[in-house]
Amino acid sequence: MNQNSLHQKKELNQSQQLMIFVLSMSLFGLANIITEIVPEFTFGPVELSVSYFAFIPLTMVFLFSPLPAALGAPLGEIIFADLLMGDFGGIGELEGFIEFGLAMYIAGLLVSDPMNKKQISIAVLVGVGIDQMLSTIVDIGKVWIGIEELEAVPGVPESILLLEGISFVNEMLISGVLFGLIPALWLVPKLYGKIEPLMGFEPRGDRSFRSATEVVSARFLILAVFFCFVAMIAEFMAEMDVNFAVWEPEFIEQFGQQFLWIGVSAAVIVLILAIMGISYLKKSSTPDTKSSRKAQ
Amino acid sequence: MNHIKHLLSKINVETIKIELMNTAYGERSTLMAKLDPRVAIIWYLMFAILPWFFWNNTILIGMLLYMIVLTAVSRISPLILFLLCFGILTEAGYIIFVSIFFGGDLTAALALMTFTMKLTIISLASIVIFTNMDPERFSDALLRFKVPETFCFGISYGYRMLPILIDEYQSIFQSFRLRGKYPESKGVLGWRYIYHICVTTVKAFYPMILNTAKRTRTTVEALEVKGFTYGMHNPKAKELKLSYLKTTKNDALFLSITCVVLFLIIYTGNTYPIERTVHQL
Repeated sequence: MNQNSLHQKKELNQSQQLMIFVLSMSLFGLANIITEIVPEFTFGPVELSVSYFAFIPLTMVFLFSPLPAALGAPLGEIIFADLLMGDFGGIGELEGFIEFGLAMYIAGLLVSDPMNKKQISIAVLVGVGIDQMLSTIVDIGKVWIGIEELEAVPGVPESILLLEGISFVNEMLISGVLFGLIPALWLVPKLYGKIEPLMGFEPRGDRSFRSATEVVSARFLILAVFFCFVAMIAEFMAEMDVNFAVWEPEFIEQFGQQFLWIGVSAAVIVLILAIMGISYLKKSSTPDTKSSRKAQ
Repeated sequence: MNHIKHLLSKINVETIKIELMNTAYGERSTLMAKLDPRVAIIWYLMFAILPWFFWNNTILIGMLLYMIVLTAVSRISPLILFLLCFGILTEAGYIIFVSIFFGGDLTAALALMTFTMKLTIISLASIVIFTNMDPERFSDALLRFKVPETFCFGISYGYRMLPILIDEYQSIFQSFRLRGKYPESKGVLGWRYIYHICVTTVKAFYPMILNTAKRTRTTVEALEVKGFTYGMHNPKAKELKLSYLKTTKNDALFLSITCVVLFLIIYTGNTYPIERTVHQL
């Protein structure tokens, strides 16, 4: 970070980045407090709740430089909704931070023109989708590690899978479309060109906040997350099958522990991939900056 | 039942605002607040990680009791505790309900007890620490642990700023409600009403975003006038800022007592283990 701040990362200097970071943090934190107050509606196993106002961080990453905005939003959630409200999950928050930050960053990279509704729609859905997939992976992994020998407890794997499935669909519909896509389509064009002068910089242009390599890596990351998600679900299903194979007790004894470690390693791989991806993006964006600035 | 209704009716914007004000500016004279923030963070990390390594219920119960004692000493607000309990109970109950629905029995419930206990220990530890610590001290301790400056600043800024932001959002929301027209008929299940509230909630963010943008700019400019970016990257300035953090005898005493308690808990747990019997295949 020190090095970057000396030769202005992209078009923004350190204090402008700080501005975006703080703005995104405050707004998303506030939005999270409001979602805490909004009541939930539960119909049997289907729970209708607004878990977060995705349009706030999404609007921020579309309008401003994606990286500071994407980092600020999950921090806002941790500080405002978790630390202050005493709902802090400890190390677990780190996972949420990485998931959400990564998802928002990728969403921000997908948009080059904030007035283009098609781009915004795709980016919103991809952003929320990545966040939800990653959190499903981690949730399943967590229960897996938390409950020893899960496959020996009847009913739990199926119910976890069902609950995760319901919550995935629910989140995509409510947080992704109702409180993500629709408000973002309304807010982004409305704010574009109005909010930037207040903050003291130029509106985002076609290439001003991202480089071609970043976009290519964003596509790669989307694919990586998607495959990890599929792999994890498949593993979990396989685990359930082991549960049904009661007539082969040696089988479980032989492979029980190993199956547990597959889950753990899948989670670790996702984490490492995410970290590597982010650091790679950071590195690759620096040399590009100079050329793009010259071009302008 | 009435009691719960009474408590639930208290959860509104006003109470949460007051609660947050209390956390951000409240008097800090409790045991945990007097600790050196770095010691507190280390203590917290211990209890955030350790529960995951034990499946022995005796050890977990011991840790839970220790946490409950600490919570009692730390004077946590009842609202936060209520929210915690409510969350844990509904979550666990829900999973148990679904697994019984799928043909499981109470083994599932017992397995989940272990899991829930772990989560409760961690949540209690974080409540004890984070609602008791002064935000400036907390962020300075993180700075000492080499967490990036922007994050540390974000934490102390957030603690102080949030109540003001909520106030502002609430007044914008109320003015939208005053000027707006409520739907005349409620519709099925009151959906028109819900829709109206949702739209207002989203619309109120438009002026809020613009206002916050202005405010953020002022804040950052004021910070830069004080040399924030320069100072944060200068080791000497950092040293000066953090020089007041000192561990005292009390901190050492606290840590050693914790270690002794932990050792006792683990020892007792190993002598009298309560473990779930699994694997009777």
